[in-house]
Amino acid sequence: MESLVYIALFSPLVGSLFAAMFGMSPKKQITGIVTSILLFISFLASVNLLMYVWENGPIHVKLMDWIVAGDMYIPFGFNVDQVTAVMMTVVTTVSTVVHIYSNGYMEHDKGFNRFFSYLSAFVFSMMVLVMSDNFLGLFIGWEGVGVCSWLLIGFWYHKEDVTRDVNPSISPAWAANEAFIMNRIADLGMLVGIFLIYWNVGSLQYDEVFKAVPSMSHGLLVAIGIFLFIGAMGKSAQFPLHTWLADAMEGPTPVSALIHAATMVTAGVYLVIRANPLYSEIPEVSYFIALVGTFVAIFAASMALVNRDLKRIIAYSTLSQLGYMFAAAGLGAYWVALFHLAAHAFFKALLFLGAGNVMHAMHDELDIFKMGGLKKVMRWTYIYMGVASLALCGIWPLAGFFSKDTILEVAFNEHTYIIWFVLWLTAGMTAFYSFRLVFLTFWSDERYKKYGFHPHEVQNYVLWAMLPLGILAIIFGWFKEDFVEFVIKLLPAYEMSEHTEHMVTTLTVLTMFIALGGIWVAFKMYSERLVRKEKVENSRIYKILSNQYYIPVFYERAISKPYAELSDIAWKEVDMQVVDATVDGIAHIIEDSGEASVQVQSGNLSDYLNWMAIGVILLTILAAIAAL
Amino acid sequence: MENILSVLIFFPLLAAVLGLLVDEKSIRTYGISVAAVEFLLSLWLWMAFDPNNSGFQFIEYVPLVSDFGINYYLGVDGISLFIVIMATLMTLIGIVALSIEKDLKNMIITLLFLEVAMVGVFVSLDVIVFYLFWEFSLVPMLYIIGAWGGEKRVYAAIKFFLYTFAGSLIMLVGILYIAYIYHSVSGVWSFSLTDWYALVLPLDVQKWLFWAFFLGFAIKVPMFPFHTWLPYAHGQAPTVGSVILAAVLLKMGSYGFVRFSLPLFPDASVAYIMPIAVIAIIMIIYTAMVAYAQKDMKQVIAYSSISHMGVIIIGTFAMNAEGITGSIFQMLSHGIVSGALFLLVGVIYDRRHTKLMSEFGGLASVMPKYAVIYGIMLMASVGLPLTIGFIGEYLSLAGFFAISPVMTLLAGTSIILGAVYMLSLYKKSFFGPVTNEENKKLKDLDSKELTALIPLVALVVWLGVYPKPVLVPIDNSVKALVSFMHEKAQTPAAKSIIRVSKSGKEAK
Repeated sequence: MESLVYIALFSPLVGSLFAAMFGMSPKKQITGIVTSILLFISFLASVNLLMYVWENGPIHVKLMDWIVAGDMYIPFGFNVDQVTAVMMTVVTTVSTVVHIYSNGYMEHDKGFNRFFSYLSAFVFSMMVLVMSDNFLGLFIGWEGVGVCSWLLIGFWYHKEDVTRDVNPSISPAWAANEAFIMNRIADLGMLVGIFLIYWNVGSLQYDEVFKAVPSMSHGLLVAIGIFLFIGAMGKSAQFPLHTWLADAMEGPTPVSALIHAATMVTAGVYLVIRANPLYSEIPEVSYFIALVGTFVAIFAASMALVNRDLKRIIAYSTLSQLGYMFAAAGLGAYWVALFHLAAHAFFKALLFLGAGNVMHAMHDELDIFKMGGLKKVMRWTYIYMGVASLALCGIWPLAGFFSKDTILEVAFNEHTYIIWFVLWLTAGMTAFYSFRLVFLTFWSDERYKKYGFHPHEVQNYVLWAMLPLGILAIIFGWFKEDFVEFVIKLLPAYEMSEHTEHMVTTLTVLTMFIALGGIWVAFKMYSERLVRKEKVENSRIYKILSNQYYIPVFYERAISKPYAELSDIAWKEVDMQVVDATVDGIAHIIEDSGEASVQVQSGNLSDYLNWMAIGVILLTILAAIAAL
Repeated sequence: MENILSVLIFFPLLAAVLGLLVDEKSIRTYGISVAAVEFLLSLWLWMAFDPNNSGFQFIEYVPLVSDFGINYYLGVDGISLFIVIMATLMTLIGIVALSIEKDLKNMIITLLFLEVAMVGVFVSLDVIVFYLFWEFSLVPMLYIIGAWGGEKRVYAAIKFFLYTFAGSLIMLVGILYIAYIYHSVSGVWSFSLTDWYALVLPLDVQKWLFWAFFLGFAIKVPMFPFHTWLPYAHGQAPTVGSVILAAVLLKMGSYGFVRFSLPLFPDASVAYIMPIAVIAIIMIIYTAMVAYAQKDMKQVIAYSSISHMGVIIIGTFAMNAEGITGSIFQMLSHGIVSGALFLLVGVIYDRRHTKLMSEFGGLASVMPKYAVIYGIMLMASVGLPLTIGFIGEYLSLAGFFAISPVMTLLAGTSIILGAVYMLSLYKKSFFGPVTNEENKKLKDLDSKELTALIPLVALVVWLGVYPKPVLVPIDNSVKALVSFMHEKAQTPAAKSIIRVSKSGKEAK
């Protein structure tokens, strides 16, 4: 079994290095094929491991030592337990599909080989992240996915910076840097958490840390919990570190599907799930996590309501769904969070890939106001996106129904009715914006003709490649019982109280009601034709929402600009005018005093005698003082 | 080879003198061969080094002036071993990458002299011999900046020389004072560092001496506010000068703290953790900001050096094995990474004769190999795990966390601010469209440049993934140092703050 662990882990790396060899040459189809095959191998290994873990329990392997200094001992160790096995399977499933899909999507891109190299490197980092058996190993993957995300968001690095009005993300390179730096802020929090663990436990291995949890003081646990969660907030783009995710849509769409929807952004949720023995002990921090998640759920959904950018709408919806996951994890229902994480990965990746098809057909146009009626020409894409949206809205019997509904039940069960209400409301908003997107893109009037587009469906093999995700988006929820049985061997078994059990039917009906209501409103407003209401679009609330509550502008004015100005002052005013000028000043004083005392050496003998007399007198006085 | 250390010192010296006879055409080959042999010799030193022995090895001892206790006394331990190897490696790389035409022969001979000084500083165990090498190292660098530098080379060279020299003189006073105390205690003169280690100084004497040595080291590192010579030196120095300066010469200061300040003045070192940490944090944050404001690519790297040296200082004053081992590893990492970055800046300067970032943009599409190597070094510089840059930074910060979590948090901003200035440098120079006509036909890295850079890339990855062969010898010597300091410390504060590793205790 050990070899399977390594095959699953290293296949993507081999693929990445293989593609990197051709990184600077023109497109070679072989790079796309080899990386896809290696990913498929990794997928098979992961599924095998999943089944093995199902039967026999976790596997632990140690590759070699990494850092050995003082009492710090960090190996490259990998642990495949129930949670990891699920994550691995999810990651490799989506990755394989995205790799095959990218063969078509990136067909004409001159960075074809480079793209596959980055993409596979990302999968490798993600595998390290989920498989490591210690916090620092997780951190390797954590930073690794960050770099791959930087490379892939900035993949079209040659594009120019433009103003925010033209493109809210400014440019791929700008968005890439924003994502990296914002993540780094969170990573500092995470590092501090790691240091706290190290100096109080003496180890960073999960098993030893979690074993030590009962003996640690409550205050310490709270501190560790908060700092680790700060790390999670960066990767999972939780408020106030959320702005990078929408801007990350500058990357190629397969990247958005894989990294910024299905896998990387869920790393924060994974961390909280992984550290459940810790978070279970600190309900107040967990509750805070749930509140942040709930807030982000509705906050992100609100921005999706009015956005016109195909990918940004889906990005906000990702943000919103991540909020749901944190709400579940924060309320102690770790397996529910994991279940929604997996389900979301499938249908959200499908949704993004569908969006990629649309972009392909529309020559990279993203404005849904310029689309419409595409279902005639893009039948399969329409079906996929329709299924994915239904799953996202939580319509029975699709995947989202089972996962999202359970989160709402949990919120109800914990008597946190406000969380329940907000999430319930968000479910309606989700349904509305998802189907606003579907109707404006695939139904309604064919506005694209006015703009001279000639949309066409993508290659057949690309559509076939999406099929597994399509199927999973439909059926994944049906395996809830098995899933629960499997993961609660590791995670706490969260069970509803009897009271909630009685209410389940009512709650489900309520949720279905608001979801269908959202779809119905979208249907009414957008299915026939796009009618733009000037008054609404010029209203203050619409402006606030479409400008993301002015948060990016605020960050720029309150942080980036002052930092740049302060840096300039630090250099020109402080470093040059004060610090360096002082040094030169001292040098000048010495030089001047030298120049001045040169006069003493006039060559005139009587002058010298005078100076000598003065010297003698001074020395005598000094001697007299010393003698006293 | 019992006298390997002497060989390491005198081989380049002899080669430099003989180099005067070599004719101009073959001097390049000559220089590369000598530096390569020297590098191989230093590798042999590593092979022959016993990693489990934490004390000094390959000791050589020849009395020079017995009456004053001055001896030719050499030795290496895990702390100095890898810095010596780095010095020989970076000299080799520097000579391989040399792109200057003017007075090539003088340059190569100067570099060989510089190598003598660098190796000498790190292997001397007699303080006078150490001091001689320490001061001697200034001369070749003065010449390199003054003769091959840019427009303001004379100003920069003199500033570099006088500033660091002034600091060293104050250190010399400290050295003489310790020797005086040693004499008054034991009745004999000695400048042997190992003899001095045994000397237990009263706290107030330690405090004075600490600051005397501090000035010498701090100007070299350079620590805020003594750093302003560095941007001038880098701004004017030719590429090879900057490479050696950043990679090796700055490390003389940080090495001095580990070799002298900590073991000689353990109580004073503990007493001054806070002021030193404040300076280090200023170095980290303030110079990172100054780096961000720069318009010249080379100045960004120059200021970033100061910022990274701040992390090294923080690690050194962590007073535990994690931090000190981390800081020494970070010295190596910074040497390799900043050396590589200066080489990379040199590459573009050779082509365009400008270092202003506003002149570039879109280089990634014109010079892909250059962009890749630059990108790898950038990631190492910002401390990405699995590159060499992470290990030292992580351990330094982790070590200092035991002293002060809040200050560690402040020092930790280096991972954010470092990313800010490096990524903005990369974006300005490499991303975006190629706007400048002159950049459209730039040649990518040639074979000479690749020969110099690829070994560094390999090191960055190797030591990032598998640092153990380097980390373990360092760690063994550091553990011995820390337990020595712990035993020697007199004040209860120092006893409790200097933290002996558990694994170190067991080994005893």
